Order: sequence, then structure tokens, then C-alpha cells
Amino acid sequence: MLTLSRVSRRYGETTALDGVDFVVPENTYMSLLGASGSGKTTLLRLIAGFEEPDQGEISIDGERIDGQPPHLRDIGFVFQNFALFPHLTVAQNVSYGLRYRANAPVSNENEIKDRTESVLSLVGLSGFGHRAISAISGGQRQRVALARTMICEPRVILLDEPLGALDANLRARMCDELKAIRERLKVSFLHVTGSETEALTMGDKVAVLSGGKIVQSDAPDTLFSHPNNVDAARHLNAWNIFEAGLCGPAMGQGTVAVRFDQIDVSAEGEVPDGRPWLRAKYLTGEFNGPTALSFFRAEDGTLLQVIDHLSQPRLPDMVEGQHYDLHFAPDAARQFHGAA
Amino acid sequence: MQSRILRPTLAIYTAAFLLFLYGPMIVLAILSFQSSDGGPQFPIRDWSIYWYQHLLGLTETSRVSQLPVGDSLLRSILLAFMTTVVSTILGVMSAEAFRTKFKGSGPAFYLIILGMMVPGVLVGLGMALLSNTLGIGRAWWGTSFVLHVVYTYPFAFLVMLAIFNRFDRSVEEASLSLGVSPAQTFRRVTFPIIFPGVLSAMLFSFTLSYDEFSRTLFTIGSQLTLPLAIYGTFSVEIYPNIFAFGVLTTLFSFTLLVIYGLLMKRFTAKAARFKGQEEN
Repeated sequence: MLTLSRVSRRYGETTALDGVDFVVPENTYMSLLGASGSGKTTLLRLIAGFEEPDQGEISIDGERIDGQPPHLRDIGFVFQNFALFPHLTVAQNVSYGLRYRANAPVSNENEIKDRTESVLSLVGLSGFGHRAISAISGGQRQRVALARTMICEPRVILLDEPLGALDANLRARMCDELKAIRERLKVSFLHVTGSETEALTMGDKVAVLSGGKIVQSDAPDTLFSHPNNVDAARHLNAWNIFEAGLCGPAMGQGTVAVRFDQIDVSAEGEVPDGRPWLRAKYLTGEFNGPTALSFFRAEDGTLLQVIDHLSQPRLPDMVEGQHYDLHFAPDAARQFHGAA
Repeated sequence: MQSRILRPTLAIYTAAFLLFLYGPMIVLAILSFQSSDGGPQFPIRDWSIYWYQHLLGLTETSRVSQLPVGDSLLRSILLAFMTTVVSTILGVMSAEAFRTKFKGSGPAFYLIILGMMVPGVLVGLGMALLSNTLGIGRAWWGTSFVLHVVYTYPFAFLVMLAIFNRFDRSVEEASLSLGVSPAQTFRRVTFPIIFPGVLSAMLFSFTLSYDEFSRTLFTIGSQLTLPLAIYGTFSVEIYPNIFAFGVLTTLFSFTLLVIYGLLMKRFTAKAARFKGQEEN
């Protein structure tokens, strides 16, 4: 179990991490969702030991690891750009850690060969061992980077936007593979990403990093349907967030969040009884294939989005520039009090 | 329109440049094949390899004494070799240090660079005075060696600095995260990747030291290096044996360059792979 408590890191005037409390349980695929610049890479670098926190403690199974040199922490790291060793072959890249690590290096060539081959077959690269790094594709490099880390059997594997350098097709496939590989290894993965779909797809648990803090850490479906605060909701890219006052006095005060897919649209004044509503101007629509997004502008300037599934259309025909009433079931709204 | 004027102009300029670059060397090479009774100028009386034989002591005794370069040549090569080793090691180490901004790194940088900026005559003279004051004997392996290092180290340092500038640190971090110690990481990852740069730094140090003149002049003592020994023969009278020697040393330098080129080619093939990795 990897535990961070009150971890802070500042760079001069800017605070990258501000008292992060965070737990990665055993044998879990943990996604960490954060916008670019939210300090998510910094968090990984602190855990790996490439940088030290200004305050706070990092520990694995109760043993403190902050302050230890990175090569003694027994934590794997998969880089966004893979950081493979360009002067070594695939097999040499993979066996590198076993051969040269400070703790218990393996010198028996047969054992090195066997373990390299078994881990290469685990990531689906049997027979690629003799290839040069330049002679394999992006997805294969990704797998070599993973294999190289896994062969050392670290206590936790950190993945820094591991799919960011891959094209969309490959990304979807690697998602499944990463999950399957992790389940076979029974080691915890901490996967950092800026993409909410990736975080929700991959994670057994998803944590949201915002403003230098972990604002929520939950199972993906819980997080998606019940964000605890405005920050978490905003990162999911599926929630309209607006002032309760827009819906009249019935909603009370504070900030309201309603999912894109739970808002209905009707002409002005035709809202069914008992449903909170707000008036907004239809801006434009965006066709995304199986779904269509419609954009509205509320009276205070807030941008609202409504998603419509082509198989079950529920929106009326709309004219750009016209006003419509957007309404939703009272229990579809999540209300947050305090600062937005 | 533009290229109709520009291209011929640049072509002529390039031709002239090459002519001035290689002209002296070509003249020297031609004159080295002068016959035994010919002088160090045109016309060529007869083609012969007499002066090459003379240089190597293979001729009958002649009125021209043999060029006293044997020992000084060995001395120069040895000195250049020592300088290369020390300067390159220093250059790599200090460039490695400059990868992290440390306190006083600004002044330290300029202090290192000063070694190649200060006029050689001044440094040489200063060193001569200093060694006199301290009662240290002047020698090619002592006072001259120190100045050669002071002179070539900044070049090696700058080459390595440029190499580290575009070095992707994440491969080192990857190695650390695999449990490999910093020292092993340098040996197994950093050094192989920067090796082409190290080769360039070595080539720089060697050639600069090999034909260093002004700094050596004041600090050499009695046993001369090659440039000084050759200069010494000028004061008597010039014979084509110097040209023959020039041709041989040029061939020697050329051999060094070819070795450098071959080694580079072998390692840049790997560097190209590295680049491919970034592009994905």
C-alpha cells in the first residue's frame, strides 16, 4: 500500500502540490486524473524519488521512502516518451534492470534469458528480443517500456501518461492490455492521465487531482455519478456546472451540477411540472457520431452542454440563436455549497 | 533570377575558398618530391623521393643534416595523448556538473572558458615566470602539459556541454527506477549515449595540443615538441625535407580523422535510432 500524507511541493512562488493525502491500495489499478499543469507528473516524480517533497511523508507498507535514493525505492516508472535505452536491443532493454540493479542483481545468463523471454511474451513481444529499438513501432515500444519495468517486480508501477504518445486506435487496445497485464501481475498501477475516459476505463479507482490536492478518490462509477465537489465534477467533462440561482428560488443557493445526458430541452414555457429549469440560448450543435452535443448559453454567460444519443433522440428541432428552456429531474442535480 | 546570379557566385566563392585552403598544402606536397639537388621552390628539377629517404635517414651522408624531429614527434604525440585524456575526463565531468545549476555556476563557467580566451603568449610567459619564482624546472611533461590542459579543457568542456544540452534525462531516470545505482547508470546508459561527443572532445583536445606553439614556446625547457623543433630548423635554412615531413604528418592527421569518422559513423547510427524514438 502506497500512502502519501500532507505532501507538498513548491517551485519558487508556485505551489504544484499542496498537502496531498492519497492512498494506492494493494493490487489495484489506480487512475489519477488531472488537467495539464495540475501537478500530476510532479506527484509521480516525488513518489519515484526523482524529486523530494518540501513537506509530508511518502511510505509503502508503513515504511517511509521519501529521502531514499530513487534506485533503492523499488518503484517502477513508465515514462510518457518511454525513455528506452537507444543503444540496446529490446531484450537488453528488458534485462537491463535484472542485470545491473544494486539490490540482488542476477548474473546467471540462463535465468536472465528465461525471465526476459517470459516477460516479453507477457506483453506480446515474443521473438522481438533481438530487434533494435528503432526497428519497432510506438505501441511495441510502449510494451518494451512496460516489460522493462515489470521484470524487476517493483512494489508499485507508476505510469506517466503512458498512452499519450500513441494514436487513438492503439490507445484503446493498450488500455485493455494494460489492465489485463496488471491483473496477471497482481501489483498496483498508478496511472496518471489527463483524459477522463482513459481514467474511468482503466481505473479500479479514480482519483482527481485539482489545485494541488486530491479532491476525490472513488470507484469510477461512483465518481462519475456522484462527484463530491465542483472540481471533481469539472474534471469528468460530463457535468454542466452553474449557479443554482439561474433556476429561480426553488433550487436555493450554491452551485448545481447536472450531467450532459440528464438535461432535456423544450420550447419556452413548456417545461413539464415539477422539473427545475433554466432558460438558455441555443448556440450550435456538434455531431460526434453516435452522439450529438448541443451548446447553450445561460443568462449569466455559463456554457451548457446537452448530449443526445442518436438511437434515442429526445431533443426538439432547434434554431440557432433562439431561447429554450432546459429542464431536468430534481434528483438528477447535484448541489454543492460553498465556493464554486 | 536570383539563383542565376547567386549560384555561380557562391560556386566561385567556394572554389576560391577550397583553393586557399588546400593550395599551400598542395604546393608543399609537390615540392616534397624535389630531387636532391633542388631547393625548396619551383621549378622541380627532377621527381624523386630523395627527401623522404633523407628524412628517414636512408640516404648517403649529405650536406643537409637530418631533420631533428624523431624524438620531438614522439614527445608531441605523447603530450597530446596525455592532454587528451586529462582534458576529456575533466570536460565530461564538469559538463556533467553543469547539468544542474549549482551555486556559482556562472562564474565557474567563465573561469573555465578563460583558458582558451587568454592569449597563449601571455599565459606561456606567466607560467615561465611562475615556474622560475617557485623554482620548478620547465619540461614538456610538466609546465607545458599543464598549459595544454588549461588550453584544451575548455574546448572539451564546451563540446560536452552541447551534448548534454540535448540529452534526454528521462533515460537516466528510467535506469534509476529500475534499481540501478547512479554510477552504473552513468556507465551503462549515459556514457554510451554521449560517446560520440566524447570522441569529438578527444579529437579537439588532441589536435589543439599537437600543434600548440605559443604556450609551449615559453614553458618547454630543453626538450622540444614537434612544432618548436620544426620552427627551430627554419632559422638555419629550409630544405624540401621539411615538406616531406609535412606531407607525412598530414597523412598522420588524416588517419586520425578517418578513425574518428569511422567511430562516429558507428555511433551516430545508434543516435539516429534515439531520434526515431522521440518522433514515434
